[in-house]
Amino acid sequence: MAEENVTFTLPDLGEGLVEATVLEWQVAVGDRVERNAPLVEVETTKSAVVIPSPKEGRIVELHAAEDEVVAVGAPLVTFAVAADAPQAGIVGRVPTEEARPARRVRLRPPAD
Amino acid sequence: MTELIERDDAATEPPTVELSMQQAINRALRVLLAEDPATLVFGEDVGALGGVFRVTDGLQKEFGDQRVFDTPLAESAIMGMAVGLAMNGWRPVPELQFDGFAYPAVDQIVNQVARMNYRTRGAAPMPITLRLPSFGGIQAPEHHGESLEALFAHTPGLKVAAPSDAAEAYSLLLQSVRSDDPVVYMEPKARYWDRGPVELREPTDPIGTSRIVRHGRHATLIAWGAMVHRCLKVAELAAEDGVDLEVLDLRWLKPIDAAGLAASVSRTRRAVVVHEAPLTAGLGAEVAALVTENCFRDLAAPVQRVTGFDVPYPAGPLEPQYLPTIDRVLFAVQRTLEY
Repeated sequence: MAEENVTFTLPDLGEGLVEATVLEWQVAVGDRVERNAPLVEVETTKSAVVIPSPKEGRIVELHAAEDEVVAVGAPLVTFAVAADAPQAGIVGRVPTEEARPARRVRLRPPAD
Repeated sequence: MTELIERDDAATEPPTVELSMQQAINRALRVLLAEDPATLVFGEDVGALGGVFRVTDGLQKEFGDQRVFDTPLAESAIMGMAVGLAMNGWRPVPELQFDGFAYPAVDQIVNQVARMNYRTRGAAPMPITLRLPSFGGIQAPEHHGESLEALFAHTPGLKVAAPSDAAEAYSLLLQSVRSDDPVVYMEPKARYWDRGPVELREPTDPIGTSRIVRHGRHATLIAWGAMVHRCLKVAELAAEDGVDLEVLDLRWLKPIDAAGLAASVSRTRRAVVVHEAPLTAGLGAEVAALVTENCFRDLAAPVQRVTGFDVPYPAGPLEPQYLPTIDRVLFAVQRTLEY
């Protein structure tokens, strides 16, 4: 499957914060991560927060080492994502579908 | 996107392409913007961003920021502006980003958009198509999973459409925007990523017609939007038990195809209507009434309704329990078979 690299930059985690310190990566290069899985714990001047993964994909590069300070808007992590995979909108998730949905109710054809 | 069929004479045979529903709506908007310079696309994030679901992706670049533009986060203003533009000869295609945020614009939609043509004795038609990402199924927060079809179908002066797949999304949008009447075009978010073949041709079925998406003889499942796909799954499972279900995609929720409903149910003698909206005063009640009026002597069982519950739309994790499940639909079918 064709992949493309997508780089995620450090978002402003509060109101008007300019930087954050990487405390602990919860993923390593080569890992496959699900969307919304814990990605990295960072500390701002307000609090320590865990950033969830914005993408489903494979980790290609971590742009900062632990204890390193990252500016808001600077690259944080690069993912390889499937180029033609459905991407969720800003709200919600792409529904998944079972090829053979589970069922409990059985039917009997009518006599007529 | 993949061109499935390449023909030498593309001018006479429109190509069939495989598109997601998002892409199909985008293609239809491109056709509509290109064919009529009065057509305008606007709403929150539809311009520079290309829409939160990528539905308007690339349109501003192609048609310019005078025809595809972002608005403030103010639904009443978006619809109020559509009214003014329509009165001045434009053909507005506003988007309200999510179903639940149409409520702040209900005054404009019900009191202005729906009535202006009537109020002015036809001097000010409202060729407005409100694109409304609708229904649930993507586990989004509150206000992002509502089904407002009964409210809009109940409002005289509005037409209401709800496509169920990419091909239908393409043709219903062309018809909606070209109509000089206002149309609420409800896009089933849960099917946005669903891919299917889309014939890039002019729509042939008139506004207000339903379609049979699966033929069967024991009962008719009636649905619209994302529930059509669910009913097709139910029909596949029922077939394993030797029960042969017909699936009718209502697609136009106003005007409703009473004749199409009657033709199907007269043959199958049993009907189950499935929708996401709550039960009480939902559109299923209207469908049940029409079927009963027109097929009373043919019916082998009362019309069954399988719907959301009479509760506020639940938080994402509860959505699978709220939306009509396959088992709930199967159970309703069994009730009609055993009646």
